[in-house]
Amino acid sequence: MSGSPIRALIKPLASLRLTVALLACSIFLIFAGTWAQIDMGIWTTLGTYFRAFFVWIPFRIFLPRHWDVPGGIPFPGGWVIGGLLMINLVTAHAVRFRYNRKRAGILLIHFGLILLLVGELVTGLKAHESRMSIDEGQTVDFAEDTRSVELVIIDPSDPARDWVVAIPESRLHQGKLIHDTRLPFDVQVEAYFHNAELFEGAQDVATSAATPVANSGFAVELGAHARPRPPSSGVDQDEIDLPAAYVSVLKDGRNLGTYLAALYFTLVPRFGLQDVQVGDKTYRMALRYVRHYKPYSISLLDFKHDRYLGTETPRNFSSHIRLVDPTHNENREVLIYMNNPLRYRGETFYQASFKQGDGGTVLQVVRNPGWLLPYVACTVGALGMMLQFGTHLLRFIRRTRTA
Amino acid sequence: MNTPSRSARLLRTLPWLALALALLYAGAALLPARDGRFALSQFARLPIVDLGRPKPLDTFARSTLLIVSNKQSFYLAETDGTADRSEAKGHAERSALEWLLDVMARPEVARGYRIVRIDHPDIKAVLGADPERKYFSLDEIVLRRAEIEAQIQRANEVPAGDRNSYQRAILELAQHLSVYFHAESVAELLLVPPTAAGTEWTTITAERHQVDEHGGDSPATDAYLQVMQGWRDDDPAVFASAVAQYQQWLGTAQPRLMRKIDMEVRFNHAAIFLRAIGLYVIVFLLAALSWLRMTPALVKSALWVLCVALVLHTLGLVARTVIQGRPPVTNLYSSAIFVGWGAAVLGLVLERFYRNGIGAVTAAGTGFLTLLVAHNLSLDGDTMTMMQAVLDTNFWLATHVVVITLGYASTFLAGFLGILYILRGVFTRGLGAQEQTSLTRMIYGIVCFATLFSFVGTILGGIWADQSWGRFWGWDPKENGALLIVLWNALVLHARWGGMIRQRGLAVMAVAGNIVTSWSWFGTNMLGVGLHAYGFIDSAIFWMFTFVGTQLGLIGLGLLPLHRWRSMQATSQVRAPRSVKQPTAPPLAPPAPESPR
Repeated sequence: MSGSPIRALIKPLASLRLTVALLACSIFLIFAGTWAQIDMGIWTTLGTYFRAFFVWIPFRIFLPRHWDVPGGIPFPGGWVIGGLLMINLVTAHAVRFRYNRKRAGILLIHFGLILLLVGELVTGLKAHESRMSIDEGQTVDFAEDTRSVELVIIDPSDPARDWVVAIPESRLHQGKLIHDTRLPFDVQVEAYFHNAELFEGAQDVATSAATPVANSGFAVELGAHARPRPPSSGVDQDEIDLPAAYVSVLKDGRNLGTYLAALYFTLVPRFGLQDVQVGDKTYRMALRYVRHYKPYSISLLDFKHDRYLGTETPRNFSSHIRLVDPTHNENREVLIYMNNPLRYRGETFYQASFKQGDGGTVLQVVRNPGWLLPYVACTVGALGMMLQFGTHLLRFIRRTRTA
Repeated sequence: MNTPSRSARLLRTLPWLALALALLYAGAALLPARDGRFALSQFARLPIVDLGRPKPLDTFARSTLLIVSNKQSFYLAETDGTADRSEAKGHAERSALEWLLDVMARPEVARGYRIVRIDHPDIKAVLGADPERKYFSLDEIVLRRAEIEAQIQRANEVPAGDRNSYQRAILELAQHLSVYFHAESVAELLLVPPTAAGTEWTTITAERHQVDEHGGDSPATDAYLQVMQGWRDDDPAVFASAVAQYQQWLGTAQPRLMRKIDMEVRFNHAAIFLRAIGLYVIVFLLAALSWLRMTPALVKSALWVLCVALVLHTLGLVARTVIQGRPPVTNLYSSAIFVGWGAAVLGLVLERFYRNGIGAVTAAGTGFLTLLVAHNLSLDGDTMTMMQAVLDTNFWLATHVVVITLGYASTFLAGFLGILYILRGVFTRGLGAQEQTSLTRMIYGIVCFATLFSFVGTILGGIWADQSWGRFWGWDPKENGALLIVLWNALVLHARWGGMIRQRGLAVMAVAGNIVTSWSWFGTNMLGVGLHAYGFIDSAIFWMFTFVGTQLGLIGLGLLPLHRWRSMQATSQVRAPRSVKQPTAPPLAPPAPESPR
């Protein structure tokens, strides 16, 4: 049996040396992934280091940035190391599995670890985060994905409801002609910036060659132009990317106007949507966060932001909301506050932030089918460790007693 | 010259003597403060709300002076700028409380004291001052007000991440000055406790306004006016009667608050942790001496003094917990106190089992070092800070934070044991086969503990994160740091089980664990990223590098060929070559410590 080729193949996979090597690799990866966060946002780091198969680790991330040291090393990413650890763990138990009471602790620990890794895998693949921002007195039935935007064109002519055509960010490339049968006109993307800076006044020469000029809408009213800006880093949690696009409305080959659509306009209440005149019909346009509509609605009754006396240090945030879901015949009030989220229909609503002047709340909406796994994993793993190290300890104490 | 019986008797009494001295030293902490001419100890017990927390004026005075000048008292002679601190010793000393009274009642005098600490040479240049000086009076600074304000504004315009050291320093000065001005504006301090349910703390200005509008009493205003008067006129009787009368009123209006205030003043006065530092040093010396000449009396003395030190340390921890109404670890400072405590307790447990001084030395060493770290962290001001809303839950503070901090403590303890192994092995002949085995067993056991605590603590942190913002694991620097400790400990254990390292390897890797832990504890805060970054200090970076450097040096020592180790020369046994392989694949977890060297 021991000479069988499968055994020969599996044995190195099950070795403790591989375990130690993989643990060392994961330590280095995590260390590097921490340093990388000085320059990159946490989500970019997540994508390039941890939820990746391979990663290029530049030397410069460990050094003062102005040294500008070139070069780096390729390294296995989180998926590879995690996957190999999993294989190592499972084969080790398969090859050397002998159940007895002494092993129960180790088995439990490792089972807990497997659950943790699976949990992180499920989260990495399936979890979805969005935000719901509600002003006091407002009712909202959608959540926004603050990591992607869409260009929406709204036909408000139907008094009963707005008809919305949404163009996802992935289609907003420079030069792209967007044709949608629901729209009586085409949209030409003249330029798209993932992060843009808006400025007033004359366009300077350097940017004017690359960026088009808007001749309608907010841009003309405000005398505003957009220029690209590098993506924001994870160091400053308050900084966000503000995309902007120059788009032209084309009908029958004629350019009816070039507009500047910017997320900034959407986020500032006094701007909002801008009008797009097509013939005698007025459409409305905006670049806004991707919306996910819900079959239920949430109204914000009251938002509270308590501070410690005589300071600006926040003591507590809480959102008093009303949840209305006709499909489930739900209509009730809920208080969401720090460390006390609302769990509803597979999603969890957390108190995440608030609007300027405490006039509204921002709820983090998370759908993570694997959210329970870490809880189970923790319990199993901790039990295993207590069993394992506890028996060690007891044996040790007994020995010193008798010695 | 001593007869054997006399020295034996001396040795027998030594532990008792040590215990008695230690108890005396510790007990002195309980002695009440003695007043001079003024009833300062009663004034110290007047309440104020500062940084969101009701506290005695004693704490307010200490933390304000600490922030402004980096010390808790100063000598009047220093203030004319002719003498430095060492020369000024023996001259009239101004306690923080006396200084606060001067600031409140005689601001024009207090502004002449040279107590505002400025270190950055460029700021001294802006002030047009001698670069050798460290302390400046507010008068001197106000003289250059326009220029300083312009500099502060310029620095403020630069985004936080792009500021250079001068800009950071001038903004720090601005913050210190605002703390000073805050203390000077007596009428605007939250000195007046709520009188009825549903009302909040308020200021003297507001109390007077209230009386003007609606009539009634103004006990706080009356008291402070008289107290200030008494202090200005150098009239101890007026001062004392005003304070006593107000204290009486407070005692009936706010009995619970005043009990807590009283406890905090006693706690401040006792300087418990500084006393514990002193005792730990003594334990360290006693236990280390015991190895030069292995005397049970010395080991016993060390053990008993250690117990006193630990009781003191525990008392301090409990007092902080009670005063704050919080679990023991709430910020970087308290984590240092708790890491030291955890390591000292574990060290004591080891000593209880092995009785060879090793546990005592490690307990004393880790207790001393971490309390020293804590002491330096305390120079930032009040150490009982209020917490940001997201961190403000007793349940998770009591579970996640405490457990993860115990993880730090036990990893450090294992590392310290590793250092002992290396130092004793390389430089002395004291590391015989028996010591090697027992030290290895200790390290192994503590690493197991560390794995348990850091694993459970890290995952509890994940669960807290899931509860707070819906992300079990965010790959945030602090989370990653905690995970690194778990992974490192797991790596050490697996390397041991796999026979990849033996006794020496275990010791060396345990020392490397110190680096991992210091990274997780302090290093991750220095990156300035992440939701957990609860403290960032420039000079801390220097100490962090120094610590890592010493640990790397120790690892280098540990990797010296064994024939260079004095202990190994002494035993001169023939050892099996290191590359001997175990004949079969090891089972998943052999009881490692018994395996041969």
